[in-house]
Amino acid sequence: MTLERIAEKVEKGERLTFDDGVALFRERDVLAVGLLANRVREKLHGDATYFNRNMRLEVTNVCVASCLFCSFAKLEEGAPGAHTMKLEDAWRELEARLDDPPAEIHVVNGLHPGLPFSYYEELLAGFKRILPTIHLKCFTAVEIHFFAELYGMTYADVLGRLKRAGLDSLPGGGAEIFHPEVRARIAHDKATAEQYLDVHRTAHQMGIRTNATMLYGHIETFEHRVDHLLRLRDLADETHGLQAFIPLAFHPDGNGMRNLPAPTAVDALRTVAVSRLLLDNVPHIKAYWVSMTPEVAQIALSFGADDVDGTIVHETIYRAAGSRSPRSLTVSELVRLIQEAGRVPIERDTFYNVVRQHPRASLPEAAMKVRDRNAHKHLEVLS
Amino acid sequence: MSVLVDRAIESAGLSDVLEARRAGTLDGSHRAKLAAADLLALGALADRVRTEDVGREVRIFASDADRAAFAEGDVVVLPPEGVELTGLELLREVAVARVAGPAGLRVCVDWTLAGLELAQVALGFGANELLGRIASKRGLPLAQGEVLGVGKKSRRELASVVKRKELAAFVRRAGRVPSFVGPDGAPERFEGEAEEAEST
Repeated sequence: MTLERIAEKVEKGERLTFDDGVALFRERDVLAVGLLANRVREKLHGDATYFNRNMRLEVTNVCVASCLFCSFAKLEEGAPGAHTMKLEDAWRELEARLDDPPAEIHVVNGLHPGLPFSYYEELLAGFKRILPTIHLKCFTAVEIHFFAELYGMTYADVLGRLKRAGLDSLPGGGAEIFHPEVRARIAHDKATAEQYLDVHRTAHQMGIRTNATMLYGHIETFEHRVDHLLRLRDLADETHGLQAFIPLAFHPDGNGMRNLPAPTAVDALRTVAVSRLLLDNVPHIKAYWVSMTPEVAQIALSFGADDVDGTIVHETIYRAAGSRSPRSLTVSELVRLIQEAGRVPIERDTFYNVVRQHPRASLPEAAMKVRDRNAHKHLEVLS
Repeated sequence: MSVLVDRAIESAGLSDVLEARRAGTLDGSHRAKLAAADLLALGALADRVRTEDVGREVRIFASDADRAAFAEGDVVVLPPEGVELTGLELLREVAVARVAGPAGLRVCVDWTLAGLELAQVALGFGANELLGRIASKRGLPLAQGEVLGVGKKSRRELASVVKRKELAAFVRRAGRVPSFVGPDGAPERFEGEAEEAEST
């Protein structure tokens, strides 16, 4: 009965409440939640499914924060596995790909206490020198907050200087779970929820668009997840600057929560669906294939997601936490992944302008294969 | 099942498939509709048929000794041996098998081949059995993190570490009722069952 009441609200375009969100997470019939989210997704985007040519780069994993879920960070320079790239080496990563250049570089780092601010400014300026058209989506709100504290600047000062150096937008990482009951336990020594949101608010006021994330599937409850989503919805109401929301599945390998199970595919699909339903003012929901695997991301395109992120090329954070997703996908692999799901692949830029629309498959490829196999009667009992 | 699911079946043009399935008059045109159907509408239809046919119980065959009991009756095991299926293909195969197969057909997913995550999703698309040998029941680390993660481990690695309790929790989290089947075909209880049911 609850789901039908929520469905009516969605049909009428009424905003869902905290209790509705919790009820959706608790609903046993995940397919029904998916159907509802899919309806919203198709109203907003039809079959259009976005991806871009992007490249991940983590220039340093040295980090003063001690987040329980992190398998990537090293506490200090010189520790086994710690690395900080020389600027020339970071730039070389782009130079090496100029024959088929990415449209966007996505840089996320540890909170390094010893680098001068000019390192980051030069990093951005160098990328723009090499490829002036490159979009620089760099530094999470947690990093921006850290820079402000470390270098004694305001958020606006930090963002202003980085913007002048070439920054185009901010990624969504670092949000984890906003609720203090959880944040105090898993990420106690970095930006608080309010600080994270304030960095995004400041960025939006300066015309810098951002994404947002949520790390789910560890010690949080459904109530914490809904609280998180509604705080983002409030921000989006205020600033209209959030482009996409990316639910990130917790991976437990090699971190302080390795005794916990990671979320299942059903949880991943449900979280995508509920995010689509609650975040009525955030245009795009990503099925981030690195976090949920390309296979589950494909299915998520029927549960409310309209974007699969991009080619990635160089992801190391999830890799360190045990993800067995491939390190990168080619454009043709992404196109096929989307076509197989019966959707229309659209290569986009970071602001969701269409770069190229690819054709839809005549039937979802997966459906054709199943039909053909059935024609060969391997399901003998059906013949 | 909600009105929402009924509407999805109807708006995908699958209501007549459901009627024909109930009447035992499914033909080629119905099967063609299934092949072209939207994934979730197909899943909704298969889940409806599963509810009518076999209810919420998921039978689990987890040891070699269970194989004799497993072999009895009409059963489709997916993925088929030697065939690599993507996640989408697996879900479609499961759903088509449930809808196009005879009433009461056992639709079984081999989780050692499909992976536990996809096997769990398949329970919402018409599957009502899980097959997969648990290599060892005792003396292993709990290893939940090794087993339960989205995209965590290669499919074949799972077989050696999963436990009954974990399988049961997977089934329960998909909204179904787990039931392990013993060598004689009768339900079999497992250590920690009550605790698992309580915590999930």
